[in-house]
Amino acid sequence: MQKHKLSIDPRYFQVIFQAIFLFYGIFYLHWNADWLHYIISIGGCLLFQYAADSIQTKRFLKPNEFDRWGFSVLISAMSLCLLLKTNFWYISLLATFLTVISKYIFKVNKKHIFNPSAFGIVATIYFTNNAWLSPGQWGSNTVILFGAITLGTIVVTRVQKLDVSLAFLFTFIGLLYWRQVYVLGWPIDFFIHSLSTGSLLLFTFFMISDPRTSPNHPVARILWAVLIAVAAFYLAVFKWKYNTLIWVLVLAAPLVPLFDKIFKSKIFEWGLTPNPSPGGEGSLPPLNLIKQQNNF
Amino acid sequence: MKPILKKGSALIIFAAMLTHEAAAFCGFYVSKADGTLKNKTSQVIIVRDGNRNVITMYNDFKGNLKDFAMVVPVPVVLQKKDIKVVEQQIFTTLNEYSKPRLVEYYDQNPCNKYEDETQKSLSGKVPGITIRGMASMKAENKDLGVKIEAKYLVGEYDILILSAKESTGLKTWLEENGYKIPAGADEVLEPYIKSNLKFFVVKVNEAEKKKLPGDFLRPIQINFSSPKFMLPIRLGMANADGDQDMIVYAFTKKGRIEATNYRTVSLPTAKNIPLFVKNNFENFYANLFQNQWSKEGKAIAMLEYAWDVSPKNFVKCDPCVSTAPSTQDLVQAGVWWVNRDWNDYTDVDQQEEDYSDNVYFTRLHIRYNRKSFPQDLQFQTTPNTENYQARYIVTHPATGDFSCEAGKKYLKQLKERRTDELEMLTYLTGKNYSDWDVVGENVEEKFIPTEASYNSVASIVAKTPGKENGILYTTLGVLGLISFVGLRQRNKKQ
Repeated sequence: MQKHKLSIDPRYFQVIFQAIFLFYGIFYLHWNADWLHYIISIGGCLLFQYAADSIQTKRFLKPNEFDRWGFSVLISAMSLCLLLKTNFWYISLLATFLTVISKYIFKVNKKHIFNPSAFGIVATIYFTNNAWLSPGQWGSNTVILFGAITLGTIVVTRVQKLDVSLAFLFTFIGLLYWRQVYVLGWPIDFFIHSLSTGSLLLFTFFMISDPRTSPNHPVARILWAVLIAVAAFYLAVFKWKYNTLIWVLVLAAPLVPLFDKIFKSKIFEWGLTPNPSPGGEGSLPPLNLIKQQNNF
Repeated sequence: MKPILKKGSALIIFAAMLTHEAAAFCGFYVSKADGTLKNKTSQVIIVRDGNRNVITMYNDFKGNLKDFAMVVPVPVVLQKKDIKVVEQQIFTTLNEYSKPRLVEYYDQNPCNKYEDETQKSLSGKVPGITIRGMASMKAENKDLGVKIEAKYLVGEYDILILSAKESTGLKTWLEENGYKIPAGADEVLEPYIKSNLKFFVVKVNEAEKKKLPGDFLRPIQINFSSPKFMLPIRLGMANADGDQDMIVYAFTKKGRIEATNYRTVSLPTAKNIPLFVKNNFENFYANLFQNQWSKEGKAIAMLEYAWDVSPKNFVKCDPCVSTAPSTQDLVQAGVWWVNRDWNDYTDVDQQEEDYSDNVYFTRLHIRYNRKSFPQDLQFQTTPNTENYQARYIVTHPATGDFSCEAGKKYLKQLKERRTDELEMLTYLTGKNYSDWDVVGENVEEKFIPTEASYNSVASIVAKTPGKENGILYTTLGVLGLISFVGLRQRNKKQ
């Protein structure tokens, strides 16, 4: 654990940045702040995660172990606050339950299949029909703020797995440019407007980049990111669907174990790599790892 | 008051829309001959469920009717049965019902003991809208490649449905047939053509028009299926340098609609504003809209009203400023699923999952220009059924003798309240007390002591600093502090 000394858990920054986005949305973009939804999302996620981990370890976890069990789920909870909308408190609660439970139910080789909050959001929308996403909520003037914060995240965390984000972003932007500017002949500001929604950057650097739910091997990761970009682009442009990024991320998740089978590599664990990635949501590392980490 | 928006009520040209692909459908007004076409406020009713769209476009065109022409991109070649002419009244009904409203409350004199529950509501008016001239421009001649897909006479309108191979050809065709194309239309015609859109070209049939009373144009309603839920405003923006307004009245089964490629913002509502605003609510609202629109960065859709207007819902507004739309009105507006004839299933979409007669109404107000709106408006239906109305409150002070103890307390509170009202006025409209010149006309001011008059309260109201930014900076500061402390803790641990 010597190397670990200088680097700080990137998830810490991630929570802070998500909180900044949320407060920016509420106070600056004047979202109809749904405080009950925020409280339930955070409280529910923590509660379910605590219960699940306590059951799994057959003991009550202590508050000072929060780093081990609570951080990742807090990131998921913040994603629910930022993205999901609903009029009903019990739907917020259901979303937190689905988010947490997906990590325990859908598992292959010690890796959960779905990005927890993406799964929670998609499943809640699909099954209840009473929740929605607002792709337009960030507007088009926020790109600078988002860019700055994203850059900050990258610098701060000295990313290792930026490859997923960049492969995705370049493919997606390239396809959009090809379609909107080259094929259809829209002026360039039309294309820029498509890119400048906060949702795209948020997805790129805070969701698809999750090292716990992307393939382990670098080549597989890049292929996977390109695949998501192509599928999301196709559905958005030719099938006129909204929020395709998050839907495709969830639908493509079962391919990850397949990629892992073809391209063999080590599984990512939070805190074990010298320079961990900034992105995504991890989960509780296996028990034996917890014990080792406690030694520092 | 300097009504910044009241630059004369010019012409309203309109362009309406819909779409498919990257396309859309707010058309542009083209003038036949050299009539000068001025400005635009468009009103559009969109009814949407599944992939089915019914769009009604209203032109408040005030020029010579024979000069009127409109081009709207549509995703499919419309059949004659899909095009209808409806009565203009429906737009008046919807506008009156859903426009921002002013509510009046009356204080009671605490020194009098009788109860007086007077409360009435007053209708506000939709503000006058800035109106700009529309430039016309000549095009170069080239190959055409324009095909007339269909030709109909519907009501007083001659309708052509064109498809084109390239924009110059389309432009030339229109010009040769006597339509004036606005400058800037080029940049969007090409993408629309490549997206395989058809062009719905409308002009007035003079012979048919003469058979009808009045010199106005009735709204046109079209009905088609397309997965894309949008309004092509880009074509209507050919006039590059002015702001144009559009009111969208939307009906869905599920809930509110919102823009997906622009922010949807609800106006600050249920605010107490000074009594003198009552005399000029129209101007107040015009300023409020302009101010909030600028503050929010312009590239937004403003929510003005959202309510469940299902036949089974009895509370259709609170307070109501006019009668809520009846089932007949809804049918007229194109809401095909209310009052459905269950003996005739031709109207029922196979894919329709929800056979209820729920109707949810959303009113959006969009002020757009070329710079802030590079893309056509796209919408989505959400399950959000929370009611919303833009509502502002004025309160009449009590009158009479205030010499009792409670009366003195009341005067003190009145002063405080009026201070808040003036601050709210500035916050909402960006204008100060001194910008309003209608105060003196308010008779009621004479019946209360001078110290509680707006005039004297105004002198103590300092210019309010940006409250909201304060909150934002405080939040960021607190977050920064938490991060800092957290980091130090962690470093210590390690």
